[in-house]
Amino acid sequence: MREAMGKELARLGELHQDLLVLTADVGDSTRASYFREKYPERYFNVGIAEQHLVDFAAGLAAAGKKPVVVNFAMFLMRAWEQMRNTVARMNLDVKFFATHSGYSDSGDGSSHQSLEDIALTRVLPNFAVVVPADPIELVKALPEILAHRGPVYMRTGRDYSPPITAGLEYEFKLGKAQVLREGDDVSIVGAGVVLWDALLAAEELRKMGVGATVINVSTVKPMDEALIEYYARKTGRIVTVEEHSVIGGIGSAVSEVIVKRYPVPMRFVGASTFGRSAKSQRELLDYYGINSSSIVKAAMEVVG
Amino acid sequence: MLKWLLTISEKLIKHSQRNIAGCLVEPMERADAKPISLEELNKLREVAERARKNVIRMLFYDQSIHVGSSLSSIEILTTLVFKYQRMAESHLDRDWLILSKGHAAPALYAVLAEKGVIKESELWKIQSIDGVLQGHPETFIPGVDMSTGSLGQGLSFGLGVAKGIKMSGRNGRVFVIMGDGEQDEGQVWESFTQKVARELDNILVFIELNGFQLDGDVESIKPKAFLQAVWRDAGWNTLSCDGHDFASIVAAIEEAQKARAPTVIFASTLRGKGFKPIENSKYQRSSPDDARKFLINA
Repeated sequence: MREAMGKELARLGELHQDLLVLTADVGDSTRASYFREKYPERYFNVGIAEQHLVDFAAGLAAAGKKPVVVNFAMFLMRAWEQMRNTVARMNLDVKFFATHSGYSDSGDGSSHQSLEDIALTRVLPNFAVVVPADPIELVKALPEILAHRGPVYMRTGRDYSPPITAGLEYEFKLGKAQVLREGDDVSIVGAGVVLWDALLAAEELRKMGVGATVINVSTVKPMDEALIEYYARKTGRIVTVEEHSVIGGIGSAVSEVIVKRYPVPMRFVGASTFGRSAKSQRELLDYYGINSSSIVKAAMEVVG
Repeated sequence: MLKWLLTISEKLIKHSQRNIAGCLVEPMERADAKPISLEELNKLREVAERARKNVIRMLFYDQSIHVGSSLSSIEILTTLVFKYQRMAESHLDRDWLILSKGHAAPALYAVLAEKGVIKESELWKIQSIDGVLQGHPETFIPGVDMSTGSLGQGLSFGLGVAKGIKMSGRNGRVFVIMGDGEQDEGQVWESFTQKVARELDNILVFIELNGFQLDGDVESIKPKAFLQAVWRDAGWNTLSCDGHDFASIVAAIEEAQKARAPTVIFASTLRGKGFKPIENSKYQRSSPDDARKFLINA
């Protein structure tokens, strides 16, 4: 994911002359460095200083620039208050590209993993929150995100990126969800790499005679409420899956829509506590039960 | 004229020898006490006095405003708004005013009302549900360039604006006003140490040394005698002034403009300046009765 993000950002630097890339000493790890190589004068490493990073970007945005803050999702949370009090409150055009989210920084352990950032950013007024499924969708999403005026938080992982949207023809639009697969009995809703497990689960469920719709809510906020309602009505049951705490994340966001528009039984697959070190993100997803077998189990619970 | 210049010089010398809030204030060049006429000086004084009274008058309408911190900032704000801040159609060619110590908002509002940017009648509706003026600055209020209130964020933002202006090859400048208590915030260190700051000559920072923060005197909480040396070693042009003396403030700003470098002016001030019930204390507020007595005698 970071490779695709770094390369695409460097490419888009040519189209947007006002595009600036800022980081807090993680340019190489996040691949923001690709932009630095092409446009050193539009690249800022502010040092290991996340709070300053966010407000400095805010000032640049107020002066008409288009700053993109690139950092580990976890370390951006350190500057949540700056995101709230300056960027959100003034509704400034600052983009946040958060890498290494979820368990993707598997080796570094819980201090570097981020299972709370969707909750923290989607609660901010004026913020949009985007979680691309894979590098293909990320490349589709970036121009849309940059064209949008106002703060956007885009959450990506590190390297692990199963091809979820490969071969699918669609235009990425902020606020629009995509249906990856149709089925009548249950809807599996999620965003990010875990949609791979959602698709595997849907295939398992098919073998068991259960039809599953898989919905990619890559824009977590604003949520595509009409589409969620449509599939709540159509399938009557929903399972959400996310590489994030089940408190406040994608499951919560979907349930807020469902409770309001068309309540149906739901189950939530996601994290309930901190992560730990492991050799890979995949290993951690399985260890914490955020995988296809958990999704199948949750689906069978609501299908009954 | 000569007599007047002499008076100012004496004041500056006197000021330079004062030891405020544990900080040894650096001497200032006599020759810099120049570009303000007596007429202009009197005008600034009048504006500041009216603004001071209006801040105290606001106590009748809301007893929770930060009067002490506001009265510490009146003269600096008056000087910046009435003498230095340039307005232009483009936000890149005008000067930005950032009140990083956002709790001094009443002072900003009172000075902006003098300038005609805010209606005076709005002052009496401060912090009211049907008023515009919030407890802390918001950009939807006329004349406010940054929403502040949570300390330590103004300089980072100001540096971003100043750099953005420079990158666009434009002429705007950025004024940031901070408090000494505010220097506790780690983000201040994060911001003034950034290398980009050293390349900017369009940012001017005031740090008010009034010696108090919310819970008590600055020295007993986090002594700050090192501040000027640290800012200077980080590459800032550091000056000092008496933050209630217009000639001293103007002299420091003129010196800053000559320096063509990022400048911080350490301004010695008094919390609650001019309002005896709370002057030079940690107290932010007093009763409407005290305010009434002050206004009758003033």
